[in-house]
Amino acid sequence: MSSAGVIIPMEAFAPNEPPTFEQLMLPHLDAAYNLARWLLRDPHDAEDAVQEAFLRAHHAFDRFRGANGRAWLLTIVRNVCYSHLRQNRREPEAVAFEDEVHGSTHDPADANAVAWHEVKSALLREALERLPAEYREVIVLHEIEGLSYREVAGVAEIPIGTVMSRLARARGKLQTELLTLTGKGSPHEL
Amino acid sequence: MNCNDTRLLLEAYSDGELDLVRQLELEAHLRACPACALRAKGLATRREVLRDSVPRFAAPPQFREKIQALVRAEAAPATAAGARRPAISWPSFWNFGGAAASLAFVLFIGYTWGNTRARTNAWLDEAVSDHVRSLQAGHLMDVASTDRHTVKPWFAGKLDFSPPVFDLADAGFPLAGGRLERIDGTAAAALVFHRRLHAINLFVWPAADGSVPTHRGAENGFNAESWSQGGLNFLAVSEIPATELDQFAAEYRNRAN
Repeated sequence: MSSAGVIIPMEAFAPNEPPTFEQLMLPHLDAAYNLARWLLRDPHDAEDAVQEAFLRAHHAFDRFRGANGRAWLLTIVRNVCYSHLRQNRREPEAVAFEDEVHGSTHDPADANAVAWHEVKSALLREALERLPAEYREVIVLHEIEGLSYREVAGVAEIPIGTVMSRLARARGKLQTELLTLTGKGSPHEL
Repeated sequence: MNCNDTRLLLEAYSDGELDLVRQLELEAHLRACPACALRAKGLATRREVLRDSVPRFAAPPQFREKIQALVRAEAAPATAAGARRPAISWPSFWNFGGAAASLAFVLFIGYTWGNTRARTNAWLDEAVSDHVRSLQAGHLMDVASTDRHTVKPWFAGKLDFSPPVFDLADAGFPLAGGRLERIDGTAAAALVFHRRLHAINLFVWPAADGSVPTHRGAENGFNAESWSQGGLNFLAVSEIPATELDQFAAEYRNRAN
């Protein structure tokens, strides 16, 4: 399921004409929706956020210079989602602190603590939804959308080193949640 | 490479994000160390399962059509837009009244600045607008840290110059963080300092396209002070009293010397 992005054949564009907003951005609608859906955890909020993001992206399109339309769009989606989360104050904001304090000395959880091949998709989803937004975000961008550390850093507006430590921490917490949900352990046992 | 080094690098390795040299070193260690090899295998399995089993939500077909219509309506010529624009229900949770008020406020400040100052000071308008926006949008910082050794490297790779970063906590202006802005069409660093409950935005950008004059101004409760130093332009904007902003600017100039 990892998608390495949508490849747009260059022949799709008329010669000598710059690609339109629709040609460049619409192929990334699913990526945009997926990120919003994971961040906001609600299908209607996700649609509202993606619509707002497309409007913002359209208005800012003349400033789009990069080659990576997907990362650019996802950055806007992310910002819209965070505004929404902040307004609704549903999220704890402790993650940045953890990155700073423990990022460099973090010892990753042993992935063998979970029998991964037995984990059902629905359980994985429930565990992921329990993580703070900043953790859901890096997992969704890296594991589902297949973004590189560098691309995740661009979208989430954090340094690459933070992407690495946050991703490790997020996957560790996901494991903890999975073990808790299956009743096989508490966070202390990891 | 020992087991400790390996553990820290294993996740990046399983993500395929290690540089070649470290990857080869790590693989040599894995061949010699069964414990680390077992860890690596666990990570690889986890990664595989995460990639395959975390659901990816696809945009519902009706929503796709709506966005497509929206994009096409936006792309249509202005004259036709009114007639062809489909009925769009604006999301309820985006407080458009608030956004409009903010925009009006920013425009108002920009306008008054523009009228009282020379038209050429477009960057001043921008900086004041940025300052106001940073307070209202809750987007004061991209990197939140009181440590200049964290803030300064954060800008590396994002800007083609290196802004001098100092923590003026001992002078009563603790460093709070930084973010990226655009001033006068170029990328600028915005350093954020605190003064009691107020924020000071210090914009820094290269003076390549012209140095800003040394200037002090006050409009609508916002004070601004600009100077040019070491090939960089500096502009501090805040709602704190002019005397305090002046003190801040003087401290900063001294340390940057």
